[in-house]
Amino acid sequence: MLQRRAHPAERALGSMRHRRAAIMLGREVGRAQRQRGRARGAGEVQIDSAIAAAPRSRAATPGAAHDFDVAGALWTLVRTDFKVRYHGTVMGFVWAMLKPLAMFVVLMSVFTFVFPSQDDYALRLVLGLFLYDYFQEATKTGLVSLHAKGYLIGRSHFPRWLLVVASTANPLLVVLTASGAILACLAVTGRTPAPLALALFLLYLLLFSAIVIAFSLASSVLFVRYRDLNQIWEVAVQAGLFVAPIIYPIDVLPERYHRLVYLWPPSSVIEFSRAVLLDGAPPSLRAHLCLVAATAASLAAGIAVYRRFGPGVPEHL
Amino acid sequence: MLIEAHGLRKAFWIPSEERRTIREHLFGALRRRSFERVQVLDDVDLELDAGETLGIMGRNGSGKTTLLKILCGIYRADAGELAVRAPITPLLELGIGWNPELDAVDNVLLMGTIMGMSLAEARRAVPEILDFAQVERFANLELKHYSSGMAARLAYAVAFRAVREVLVIDEIFAVGDVGFKARCEARYRELSAAGHTTLLVSHDPRTIEAFCPRALLLDSGRIALAGSGAEVASAYVELAQRASAA
Repeated sequence: MLQRRAHPAERALGSMRHRRAAIMLGREVGRAQRQRGRARGAGEVQIDSAIAAAPRSRAATPGAAHDFDVAGALWTLVRTDFKVRYHGTVMGFVWAMLKPLAMFVVLMSVFTFVFPSQDDYALRLVLGLFLYDYFQEATKTGLVSLHAKGYLIGRSHFPRWLLVVASTANPLLVVLTASGAILACLAVTGRTPAPLALALFLLYLLLFSAIVIAFSLASSVLFVRYRDLNQIWEVAVQAGLFVAPIIYPIDVLPERYHRLVYLWPPSSVIEFSRAVLLDGAPPSLRAHLCLVAATAASLAAGIAVYRRFGPGVPEHL
Repeated sequence: MLIEAHGLRKAFWIPSEERRTIREHLFGALRRRSFERVQVLDDVDLELDAGETLGIMGRNGSGKTTLLKILCGIYRADAGELAVRAPITPLLELGIGWNPELDAVDNVLLMGTIMGMSLAEARRAVPEILDFAQVERFANLELKHYSSGMAARLAYAVAFRAVREVLVIDEIFAVGDVGFKARCEARYRELSAAGHTTLLVSHDPRTIEAFCPRALLLDSGRIALAGSGAEVASAYVELAQRASAA
């Protein structure tokens, strides 16, 4: 069995950096052993020792370049994704904005009659739709990101999470552009949000992005094992559009159901954004703390799943 | 030693019934399935010193590529010890892996940064890479319009430019015309003279004899012979002839 503490190469490691790398690699072997043990009966495969990095190695991970340019690789992935996505389409990037806008026109023409007393219904709807579209598109592309970029994974050893993070960048660009347009509309109509409101809105977008990345990290490594996960998620996010208070004001629901609605991550971000940008009434400190805690929990869970299943991804592709 | 591997083992488990979706797992939960164990690597030892070139030969399915992928950190070993003391540049599966919707320049930048070059370094290297691959005239042409030979030449050009300390090469000099192969050999000799350590996998006995003072012959995941390049090359030819006769 794996005896990480007893491994001599690991004991010899001179720095914490190398020790951490060795521990991680050792855990990867251990995880492989546990996985196989559970599936086929423990004890069939014996781990003789952990894989360990060397004391003087600048590259603690086998195959990794010691000076890997994370920012450069991320930028190249984002730029080429953008190019592939919009190159050759008639309207390019504008097309990405048209989808939520078309949805807005349809929903607006129907639901203004249903909720005639709702203040700023059009603005609330369009803000909610753009934020939800970001969640929907980013999680869908994030979920298939490792599978879609499998040709890169088999070629070299590099931080694979970059592929997941890069895949969520284009939907983020769309929501940032849409947010800029909404803020411009508010400014033109003399309702420019206060600096604090703007800062809070940016914070919500940041937390929302963290939730999206957390989900994408976990789902991308599960998707290579369960190939119908994208179809299940497609149905879930479609249903989620009606769970989140986008089309309807949350006040139409009895208060006892509000907590349930807020369990769906986009709900709180959409409601908080409306509160600061349109109502000028930021939610309470407790509500903010809850959102931060939920984001931190999502990130921790996403990273844990990614680290558990991520090392086996190349073998499943 | 730059690379030390002792007792490396790797097995793949082939299920009697493939389940790749949640639906298949749910509906098949009550049906037992068996797994066939395919031992791809079995107790493989390997040592590689700085500046050395080690050849690896073996028939298809003998475990060569799996061994390289474990050394490069792409696959995990089931058991054994592995110490890697230098950054590795893997030149694996070079015939595939381009994004067909991007042009050559963008593909070079993408592949270069993934293989460990900094973005600035990759940008500076673009003209040299296109020149080596002889595709300068098609720099802005999407890869889907390239012939397989052109795409493979570009892959070799990127890989040879992205080289770090240790080179791990699967089937070098296997693409292109005589001129391109000669340029690849010349570039490889330059890298070797500059002190790069190389692990070279090939089916070509002449390549192993010419470039590898030391080599290993893998057979069914085990090291069947460790010796000079010439010894291993002739043992490989014998093994291949025996297999085709049987």
